[in-house]
Amino acid sequence: MTTFQTAFEAKSKTTGTAASKKLGAATIVAVIFLVLSGLIFSAEDVVQGSTVRIMYVHVPSIWVAYLAFALTAIFSGVYLSNRSRSLIWDRLAGASAEIGVLFVAVSLVTGSLWGRLTWGTFWVWDARLTSTAFLFITYIGYLAVRRLGGTFRQRARRSSVMALLSVLEIPLVHFSVNLWRTLHQKASVADPNAKVSLDGLMLFTLFWGLISFTMLFAWLLVHRQRLMALEDAVQDRGLDRAIQQRRTEAGL
Amino acid sequence: MDHASFIIASYALTFVSIAGYALYIVRRARRLGALTSDDDKPWI
Amino acid sequence: MDLTPRPIAAPESRAQRQRRRWIPVAIVALALAAGGIVVTQFLTSAIDYYCNVDEVGLREGCVGQRRIRVQGNVLENSLQQVDGVTLFALSFNDKTLQVRYQGDPGGVFQECIPVVAHGRIINGIFDSDRIEVKHTNQYVEKNKSRFDEATNETAACSQSPE
Repeated sequence: MTTFQTAFEAKSKTTGTAASKKLGAATIVAVIFLVLSGLIFSAEDVVQGSTVRIMYVHVPSIWVAYLAFALTAIFSGVYLSNRSRSLIWDRLAGASAEIGVLFVAVSLVTGSLWGRLTWGTFWVWDARLTSTAFLFITYIGYLAVRRLGGTFRQRARRSSVMALLSVLEIPLVHFSVNLWRTLHQKASVADPNAKVSLDGLMLFTLFWGLISFTMLFAWLLVHRQRLMALEDAVQDRGLDRAIQQRRTEAGL
Repeated sequence: MDHASFIIASYALTFVSIAGYALYIVRRARRLGALTSDDDKPWI
Repeated sequence: MDLTPRPIAAPESRAQRQRRRWIPVAIVALALAAGGIVVTQFLTSAIDYYCNVDEVGLREGCVGQRRIRVQGNVLENSLQQVDGVTLFALSFNDKTLQVRYQGDPGGVFQECIPVVAHGRIINGIFDSDRIEVKHTNQYVEKNKSRFDEATNETAACSQSPE
């Protein structure tokens, strides 16, 4: 029986496991609680009023993006330094970057809506917004580089190098509000001086947002990485099928 | 709630886009999962 | 066994395949172009987005009749609305600048809040056509015992270099 034939006898068609299903269920509960806390339970801000509620999705989004891109670099580093050159590290890096791009996009859009209500404008070219836009474009470029063709190992090598270079933008984005004069406010929680400037339930809701978005990220990472493994397998199957066809034609 | 449309839009945009991406992953995984053998799924 | 690449049967599928191959290349090219635009914006606009009030007329880039962005706190009891024109004083580090803005600035604009005004100085008054509110990183719950304390802090209305 050929490998290709066994493909049709697959017992499991999904990327889910018992553990990932539990994580998924816990994430849904955490997100529901975040929405309730963000929109209903938490108080309005003295200056911004209800507008502050956007912070509970905006800040966790950019946090997940930072985490995703940092992990992309770490997985890429592991791939390059590991003698076995296991492609699982490359897939984890690619999956993490793709999720990071989604969350930067979410952060840019929600930040833009928040900015319209507080600053009075959707967009300004200050250092924080400009560097975040650059980060977003860089990782779109990274994802495009992954699809340039070649073997899996070529893909892994070139994208690993790019990931290790691109991650250097993260401190630039995060500290842009301290390095230059920006319209964007400075960090409230991730302040280098560790001075927390959020009141009780606001701080709790923000932390809850960080936790639930991290859970979301973990679930997406596990499943996207497994999907990438399936995509690679299907690509391999195509090659296997072509070889099989020619072996049959040659009477081997 | 002041500016409810902007606030609701922010939450809706966030969770609809994430849910859409999750749905894409699950559906594509089901499709490709049917084409590949269990040997290609070390998580089973 | 024949291992030479097979010609692709349908010309349409070859075109499709070629198109698919060019999509990532086009995206990389677009990303490079977009990156270039963003870097240009960064170098021309993003570095030091504004001049503080006390730097107007003194610091390089903040002098003359050119269009500038000025940052300061809206001084307490200075805000007036006259015939659709918003008048207020912008203060930073004990220096004050009179600002004139046609219309309502919007956002959370109010007294004792830091703002960035875009415009130019005409006859000693800063004639602004765009105002952006630069809210702080302090978040205080409304209707709380700390409310008075917080409003008192904000009402101090003074801003010094950080």
